[in-house]
Amino acid sequence: MRQRSLIAITAALAAGALTLTACGSRDSGDKGSDSDNGGGTVVIGVDAPLTGDLSAMGLGIKNSADLAVRNANKQKLVKGVTFKIESLDDQAQPSAGQQNASKFVSEQDVLGVVGPLNSSVAESMQKVFDDAKLVQVSPANTGPALTQGPDWQNKKVRPYKAYFRTATTDAIQGPFAAQYVFNTAKKKKVFVIDDKKTYGSGLAATFTSEFKKLGGKVVGTEHINPDAKDFSAVATKVKNSGAEVVYYGGEYPQAGPLSKQIKAAGAKIPLVGGDGIKDDTFMKLAGSEATGDLATSVGAPVEDLPSAKQFVADYKAAGYKEEYSAYGGYAYDSAWAIIEAVKKVVDANGGKLPSDARAKVTEAMQGVAFDGVTGKVSFDEYGDATNKQLTVYAVKNGAWVPVKSGTYTG
Amino acid sequence: MSGIGPPEPGEGTHARDGGRPRDPRPPGRARAALTAWYARRRRIAIALAIAAVALAGGGYLYATRPHRPPPREDRTPTQLPYPAQVVDMTYLDGQATPAGAPPRSFSFAVLLSVASGPPVTVTRVTQPYAGLSLDTEPSAPFRTKSGSARKITITMHVTECEKAPKNAGLPFLDVTLRNTRAIQVQSFILGPRYAQELSRALQVACSNKVG
Repeated sequence: MRQRSLIAITAALAAGALTLTACGSRDSGDKGSDSDNGGGTVVIGVDAPLTGDLSAMGLGIKNSADLAVRNANKQKLVKGVTFKIESLDDQAQPSAGQQNASKFVSEQDVLGVVGPLNSSVAESMQKVFDDAKLVQVSPANTGPALTQGPDWQNKKVRPYKAYFRTATTDAIQGPFAAQYVFNTAKKKKVFVIDDKKTYGSGLAATFTSEFKKLGGKVVGTEHINPDAKDFSAVATKVKNSGAEVVYYGGEYPQAGPLSKQIKAAGAKIPLVGGDGIKDDTFMKLAGSEATGDLATSVGAPVEDLPSAKQFVADYKAAGYKEEYSAYGGYAYDSAWAIIEAVKKVVDANGGKLPSDARAKVTEAMQGVAFDGVTGKVSFDEYGDATNKQLTVYAVKNGAWVPVKSGTYTG
Repeated sequence: MSGIGPPEPGEGTHARDGGRPRDPRPPGRARAALTAWYARRRRIAIALAIAAVALAGGGYLYATRPHRPPPREDRTPTQLPYPAQVVDMTYLDGQATPAGAPPRSFSFAVLLSVASGPPVTVTRVTQPYAGLSLDTEPSAPFRTKSGSARKITITMHVTECEKAPKNAGLPFLDVTLRNTRAIQVQSFILGPRYAQELSRALQVACSNKVG
């Protein structure tokens, strides 16, 4: 009897152990499996400059959106749906962006688009997407008019319901830079330069307005050609103006050489810009004398955000060749916002995509809210991010180092 | 010949009929004793084998068990949130200026809230403009726990009207925040209503003749 009991207990233990071992094996065997959803494919378009001067930022956007899609598929976040990325290169050109927008609209599987980088490109895409009710979430556009209309300083009117963004606008970024330059850096005379593009001229305008209100003096203004690399004439004007600081509205391919040539002309004064210059390529172009140059950027430094740790680790593990750059976290959150909106629509439709999925996804985007890489992600009545953080960075020892952070709570 | 055929069953390897454990025909005595002996030995052998499998399975499970992160309270400070990431400050409204405040003073209230993490201590509140200074009620330092909010009354004094920002578009307060992770100075840009009311208050303060 005792022997039989021993056998029974031993057999039960063994069976239990084998069952549990089998469970463990199955769990590890699922890693990396991201298909077998048994349902439809939803394509998320990505539009960004993937070639040319601004490709460092554009490729960071593309890779980060791709990472979001991989994670959603791995988690089987939307049952029955497999997400895919289709990326198109706009070369930072509005005309190319518009063509890409039309292509995405013509492909029925595309239910949302992440991008673009440039506000001027966004202007050319907005109507195309809005007419097709295809939602667009930009991780990087900062031009206020895109969400609040051309007369945003007096009367905010949202022009397109299909346009959203996860980045903070220049309506906050420009004045924040002005406050830092005037109050903290104690610079009272500024020379303002822009590249005549939507982003650059808009940012320079919001900076100038606040700088003047604070009592600062604009001692000169200039516009440069974005295709140029020789800025020696402008540099000489800066030198002769007696400016204590230069504000540049534009992007790093021009900002780097501009900073270098201003210093070479004998004006050892800092160049200040917005998020468009906050890329490591700026230092390569500007050289060692860039120390002390400043940039504001939308969002808090990624290393300060507990929510970004997983993103940084996942991005590294995924083995992308390029850095995630200034907008990686925002691109991940933009793609994730589209995925969340698709999930809402599918859940509300008995687990299937409805026939008017695009319109429904656009509608659902307004109510999307989640804890993203960059903090809490949701949108206000204009389609702007409700999370509005900014950081001032300074060049120190060849790197951008955060020197001041702000939160807009208005 | 392929050399592969149905193997002959060896001794003690006869499969039992599952539903009929006992042969209806009793075997001979000698054979019965041998079978019983083998059966006894087999039981011991099977018991030992099962025990070995159970031990091996248990050992495997123990070795490959999922490693859970330590509980939150045991985490090192580097895993806690930075104070600026969990604190929010919003503008409420204008307030009556406390009795005894110096001339050219005005007051307003803000609400400071802490969303998560350890308690946050406000060690200092300043504003960046020349020509202004401020006091807070409660006076810094003061501590706010996670999940709670605290109303702070700020009284500003104009020290030099010429230097005060009478028309700032996006004025802010600099707040020094401390928790067990870090000390940070965060600028809180309180929005257009604060900007308008600050401008109005400064214009009033600086239009008054002070005896």
